[in-house]
Amino acid sequence: MEATKVLDAKGLACPMPIVKTKKGMNEINSGDVLEVHATDKGAKNDLTAWAKSGGHEILENTEEDGVLKFWIKKA
Amino acid sequence: MANTKVAIIAANGTLFDAYKVFNVATAAAASDAEVGIFFTFEGLNLIHKEAHKNLPLPEGKEHFQEGFKQTNVPSIEELVGIAQELGIKLIGCQMTMDLMNLEKDAFINGIEVGGAATFIEYAKDANITLTF
Repeated sequence: MEATKVLDAKGLACPMPIVKTKKGMNEINSGDVLEVHATDKGAKNDLTAWAKSGGHEILENTEEDGVLKFWIKKA
Repeated sequence: MANTKVAIIAANGTLFDAYKVFNVATAAAASDAEVGIFFTFEGLNLIHKEAHKNLPLPEGKEHFQEGFKQTNVPSIEELVGIAQELGIKLIGCQMTMDLMNLEKDAFINGIEVGGAATFIEYAKDANITLTF
């Protein structure tokens, strides 16, 4: 999937994946897609909740070799 | 979470307390909530210029030191910086500062100082109120 920006949050513990995602989102425009990579096991629920609270859409998420990837479309 | 207001009281001063306070606060602020924290009694350690860099683990829990390293959690210093960057309001309790004989310049830059009434005024229309 084509992302406007890729954010590497691997190795970071809560709440950093959310904090970094928030900062990453500030740097893209509405309708753009941010691709987030994380290894924090809580990130799946946290990023889903975070996206919901801001009205952003998670287009896709995958998990491979312990790396969670999310494609989030900015509201 | 825009239009959501979070009011937090931080009344304890160990490393565990600091993570409870700053993790929830920064997560809320990163979700576009307005966040204010009132630091009182031992909670003042969390924003003390020197103390916040080297907070003690709770008594009997020293063995968790290793877990903090392995989990790669951010330092409290880092979280305080993020809290300020996200615009979280940090309020030091005037009365506690007076009785501990601490001036505002003993604390990190950018805090406000106020009494209980200041916090109550802030918290009166909060959607989420938490005490740690």
